[in-house]
Amino acid sequence: MLKIKNLKKNFGKKKVLKGIDLTINDGDIIGIIGPSGCGKSTFLRSLNMLEVPTSGSVILDGDTIDLNDNLNDLRRKIGMVFQQFNLFNNMTVLDNIILAPVKQKLMNKTDATQEAIRLLKKIDLEDKKDNYPRELSGGQRQRIAIIRALIMKPNIMLFDEPTSALDPEMIGEVTKLMREIAKNGMTMVIVSHEMSFIKDFCTRVIFIDDGNIVEEGTPEEIFEHPKDQRVKTFLSKVKDI
Amino acid sequence: MKRIFKLLVIMLSIFLLSGCETETKDKLTMVTEAGFYPYEYYSNGEVVGVDRDIVKRIAEYLDLELEIKDVHFDSIISEVKSGKSDIGAAGISYTEERALEVDFTDNYIVSNQVIIVRNDSLINNIDEVSGKIAVQLGTTADSYLSENYPNIELIRENKFLACIEDLRQSKVDAVVMDEVPAKNIMDNTMRILEEPLFSDSYGMIVAKDNTTLLNAANAVINKMKESGEIDAILLKHLESKEETKEEVKESNNIFVKIYNRFYRSVILDGRYKFIITGFKNTLLIALGAVILGILLGTILALIRNFHDNTNKLKILNKLAKLYIDIIRGTPSTLQLMIIYYIIFGSSEVNMILVGIMAFGINSSAYVAEIIRSGLQSVDKGQIEAGYALSLNYRQVMTYIVFPQAIKNILPSLGNEFITLVKETSIGAYIGIVELTKASDIIASRTYDYFFPLILIAIIYLIITFILSQLVALMEKRLKNA
Ligand SMILES: Nc1ncnc2c1ncn2[C@@H]1O[C@H](COP(=O)(O)OP(=O)(O)OP(=O)(O)O)[C@@H](O)[C@H]1O
Ligand SMILES: [Mg+2]
Repeated sequence: MLKIKNLKKNFGKKKVLKGIDLTINDGDIIGIIGPSGCGKSTFLRSLNMLEVPTSGSVILDGDTIDLNDNLNDLRRKIGMVFQQFNLFNNMTVLDNIILAPVKQKLMNKTDATQEAIRLLKKIDLEDKKDNYPRELSGGQRQRIAIIRALIMKPNIMLFDEPTSALDPEMIGEVTKLMREIAKNGMTMVIVSHEMSFIKDFCTRVIFIDDGNIVEEGTPEEIFEHPKDQRVKTFLSKVKDI
Repeated sequence: MKRIFKLLVIMLSIFLLSGCETETKDKLTMVTEAGFYPYEYYSNGEVVGVDRDIVKRIAEYLDLELEIKDVHFDSIISEVKSGKSDIGAAGISYTEERALEVDFTDNYIVSNQVIIVRNDSLINNIDEVSGKIAVQLGTTADSYLSENYPNIELIRENKFLACIEDLRQSKVDAVVMDEVPAKNIMDNTMRILEEPLFSDSYGMIVAKDNTTLLNAANAVINKMKESGEIDAILLKHLESKEETKEEVKESNNIFVKIYNRFYRSVILDGRYKFIITGFKNTLLIALGAVILGILLGTILALIRNFHDNTNKLKILNKLAKLYIDIIRGTPSTLQLMIIYYIIFGSSEVNMILVGIMAFGINSSAYVAEIIRSGLQSVDKGQIEAGYALSLNYRQVMTYIVFPQAIKNILPSLGNEFITLVKETSIGAYIGIVELTKASDIIASRTYDYFFPLILIAIIYLIITFILSQLVALMEKRLKNA
């Protein structure tokens, strides 16, 4: 369980997050939507301290996350997938996947390699294990980025627009993998502009505007019966597109 | 990579150790600028001359072994003052200013400062001296003319050879310099005015508190003066010059002329040895400096990068930035002097090591910025992905940032090395015999400035050309890696 209490984040004078409270229960699949620049990425990145919050706290399974204290532990438990995949360009696919578990001594190299190959097989990319990221398509890279996070055995996975940088025909392979992971009970927080995916996939949806949570509820509540005018406006705009 | 690093460290330690080696026999160190025939000049790779012969006698008198150091004339007083050298003998004239800094021995030579003009000149005596006059910078002629002839335009050259060249090319109307070298280097298009402008006498200099050496030097000098030995020595050196002069036959054939210049500058008297030594030292200093620069620069870059990424180490970062700003904001010549005279002070130290230290420290500031911008060029997203996977700063740097940054950094470091090869030329200031100093030494014997300069320019070009090719090759390889 991840608890976020009165989370605030300023960039200089600019207030980006203005006090967010949220509890993420195990098994939740939370979709975060909202207009561009409202602070979705900043919020997501605050959860694993890629952005250090100005105030407020993040509590993981009862432990308050402290910048200096158990950061590595926190980050091991929270996997993250980025819009731009962010594979390490200087390493092969296999090395990308096993780097962190081996260096963090979660597994020895043989076990990690075995596990990586098992995961690669699952996504049909075993034959690419010795390729470099630049030799792969966007969809392939993103799926590898996902299993790179998965091999750390995280409790929660964060996705920041995982399909935005993909060609339309590749979106399916990535969302399919996400669904499979969800099936195994993974807790997920997803920022996305793919409204149909969010609606269909998430158990709860959160609408953020101007650094605040404006509305939260089931996909049905948010997409079919939005209460707040800002949500309505946003959804009508998105539908227009 | 690790192997190369190990090798570099070993090489550096060898330099350091070779600088520390201790010698058993006590020495008398004479400092001079060996480009002042017949008082001090190079023959067969060694500094010889009237001054050396006299100081040699002083050393024998004190039962010490003579060691000679060849530096820039401007540096001689600081050498003696700081205790790096015991005695300065370089045709130094007594001035009150100098006497404030060091003690002078009795005069051992009285020399005339004469006026040289072209044959067609209208200047025929002292009172007619006007227009542009060339002198060697920092000599007594320089100060004398500055004080007594406010209306002339003084052209101050680093070498008196350059003065004569100016006169030959009609860039100046007259040259004022010591009579003895004057007679040797003028040609038949010039004449020396009969009446000297003023007379000058030379003494040697020792540190203020060194009375033992002062007394010994005076005793030897006075004895030699009385017995006429000094005049004999002077004559001997002047005659030895006459001999070498005759070896080269003049000719009108252009190729023979070029060959003669080549022969005089390179082959005669084994002068190629200076070029070889200079070449070796230039490369050695540049290589040592670039290694030291990389070691220091990496530390600086890491401090700055760590601060940029984590906002920690604020004070250390400020210091690193200050260091980089100071180094990049002051002339490297100055840094070299400061390291040699102030940091190393009176300690005896291998000159090559001083060069490596000075240029290495200088280079570290540039290397730090090269490395820092190389590190910054690595995609931020990958760094974040590393952190998100629970890696720490060190791991992210080691496994993700460095391997990618090195592709940008290595070629720039190669270029830094090329820059350093050329930078080392200022090592001549403190007497390091690198390529430029080698050409200086040769020119001071042949009175032919251009040939050795062109020659070493070609050598610099070849070195930098080869290095540039290597850097280009490395760049290509890394791009494909
Ligand atoms: N490092 C930073 N420094 C300064 N301002 C920042 C920084 N990161 C984000 N911001 C600002 O914070 C605000 C929120 O940014 P954020 O990336 O969280 O928005 P977002 O909701 O993810 O937008 P999008 O849908 O376009 O991805 C924006 O106005 C952005 O310009
Ligand atoms: Mg975003």
